[in-house]
Amino acid sequence: MVTSREEILNRLRSVQPEVGDFEVTNDYLPVAPRMDRSPQGLLDLFVEVAQNLSCKVYLPANQSQAIQVILELLDDEQRLLSWDFENIPLPGLAEILSEHGIEISSGRDASVKVGLTGADAALAATGSLVLLTGKGKPRLVSLLPPVHIAVITRQQIIPDLESLMTEFREKKPDVFQQNSSIMIISGPSRTADIAMQLILGMHGPRELHIIILT
Amino acid sequence: MKITSNNFIPAAREALADQDMRRSVNQATTTAYQKRKNLMFEFGIEHGEALRQQAQVRRRALSRLPDLLGLAETRMIENGIHVLWANDSSEVNQDVLEIINRHSVKTVVKSKSMVSEEVGLNDALQDHGIEVMETDLGEYIIQLADETPSHIVTPVIHKSLASIRDLFISELDMPPTDDAVQMARFARQILREKFLAADMGITGGNFIIAETGTLCLVTNEGNGRMVTSLPRLHVAIVGIEKVIESLEDYATLTQVLPRSATGQAMPVYTHMYSGPRKAGEDDGPDELYVILVDNGRSEIFATKYAQVLTCIRCGACMNACPVYRSTGGHAYGWVYPGPVGAVITPLLNGLDNAKPLPFASSLCGACKEVCPVDIDLPQMLLDLRDDLVRAGMDEKMWLWAMRLWQFGNVSPGIFELGGKVARSLTGEKPPEHLPGPLAGWTKYRNFPPFAKKSFRQQWKERRGN
Repeated sequence: MVTSREEILNRLRSVQPEVGDFEVTNDYLPVAPRMDRSPQGLLDLFVEVAQNLSCKVYLPANQSQAIQVILELLDDEQRLLSWDFENIPLPGLAEILSEHGIEISSGRDASVKVGLTGADAALAATGSLVLLTGKGKPRLVSLLPPVHIAVITRQQIIPDLESLMTEFREKKPDVFQQNSSIMIISGPSRTADIAMQLILGMHGPRELHIIILT
Repeated sequence: MKITSNNFIPAAREALADQDMRRSVNQATTTAYQKRKNLMFEFGIEHGEALRQQAQVRRRALSRLPDLLGLAETRMIENGIHVLWANDSSEVNQDVLEIINRHSVKTVVKSKSMVSEEVGLNDALQDHGIEVMETDLGEYIIQLADETPSHIVTPVIHKSLASIRDLFISELDMPPTDDAVQMARFARQILREKFLAADMGITGGNFIIAETGTLCLVTNEGNGRMVTSLPRLHVAIVGIEKVIESLEDYATLTQVLPRSATGQAMPVYTHMYSGPRKAGEDDGPDELYVILVDNGRSEIFATKYAQVLTCIRCGACMNACPVYRSTGGHAYGWVYPGPVGAVITPLLNGLDNAKPLPFASSLCGACKEVCPVDIDLPQMLLDLRDDLVRAGMDEKMWLWAMRLWQFGNVSPGIFELGGKVARSLTGEKPPEHLPGPLAGWTKYRNFPPFAKKSFRQQWKERRGN
């Protein structure tokens, strides 16, 4: 019996399609060119673009200040969804949270108000966070709670999506075998479906706080 | 989905009389058009045009489609994805129902998928007693109102805030409010429960990267993430034309798409899926199915219209089109409205089922100008008109009108005589509205008076001096 697969492929193979002319080279033009690619330039651009996307960005002077920011954002919340602490670049955070009586919830608890993650990279041109799923890095932490806090280091900021793809090709060829999903997050969840009014926090977080360690 | 495209003219007339709808559509399309322009040309017009040229990697991919599909399938299987192929609507629905039965699925949550509209998936599942919930806010509103999307990116573009409010009050007992934020929060609460309880998530797919076997989506609301993170099964329904070659092509296309669609540099969520949950991961689906859907695409592939398969479904042509802006999407009578819809609706459903659509255009060229992959839509609309005439499916009145025109234009003498007759018949003050079969031309504008003397007459007089 001929399968649907064979039927479809046979139909496609039986013709030479008229797709029109194309002048494409492998010398790709960046979608967002013209940026200062120095470390300071990338940091400044990331902060500016992320803020324009309604993210709150923090540049604490040291790690204890960074932890202070998290505690303030938690306010009276006693529960937190979180990545495993080894994936968040703040040593000692686990102990301090537990001293404050904050309990790490797990899994699908949609009543928790705050989710805490690190990130695997950040893109300056688009103010984006790149999150690879994996062991100790659940998808739901950056999705279910209405407030998402991400902690990154300034060394993680790379120019753009093009540089991320180059990095995957050159340094992490097995990234697609190792990680079931790669999520690139640019600002808090939003919709404009009701009469084109911009509303933040449709299904995902309505607040995205990004703490950059320098 | 049932096709009513042959009803375009009466449906468009009805739409033109709906002031509320026209206001919503006009405002939304004008805003989206401007936002697209700002973002596409953020780094100058030359750069924006160069990006449109670079996006023609879609054409390169299409020229290698069967090979790329084979490669994509191999890579996806290596990544642990189940790959299914479907010739047509009934095979897609059959495939999904089989997965549902195999895994004892009771409830399904869906992220926006135009292919699922095309194949009528919701009805097929509901007929088998499965609860299907649309979760994109726009699609959810459409489902509540028992309507169809009127735009491929913003499906409720035709609805005003007040009509959505009334719908939520009557269908969901929402406490009365005029605040869009409150309305969205209310929907969020309801849909949150659905996400948490669902057995299966269904999505479409914006791209499949062949070399890595990666399924790519773009979303803003987060519902796409919910349906691919919470349920134990994820099924993606993707047209066979969506496969692209490389990570580099992806970087270009997935950024050009939101710039062109909504005027965003990046959508809020840019998803790349390479398989179901891996060992040691806390969440994500246990199994991931990708259904590659033909449903008429391979037939388009074999015609001179193959280029239309490079469409990335950004909706920019709708936002730019003077016809779409006036009539909205429902008049087009099927899943895909606007210029690209006027081309693919007859191609996917047969020319005789969508005869008026190739004429639903002023051929102004705005659709081609804004198309991020530069599809020659105006030429295709002309070619489809040509096909209609050749197939004997055109309006016969046009044939007689054109013959009359030809008769009057082949000989200078007859042309001159025609002018004289027209001038003497209409006199100094011609009627503002023409009678009989010509009435349509002057229904919405006045008939102008003829010049007192013809060009030829004036020419003769001046040369005589």
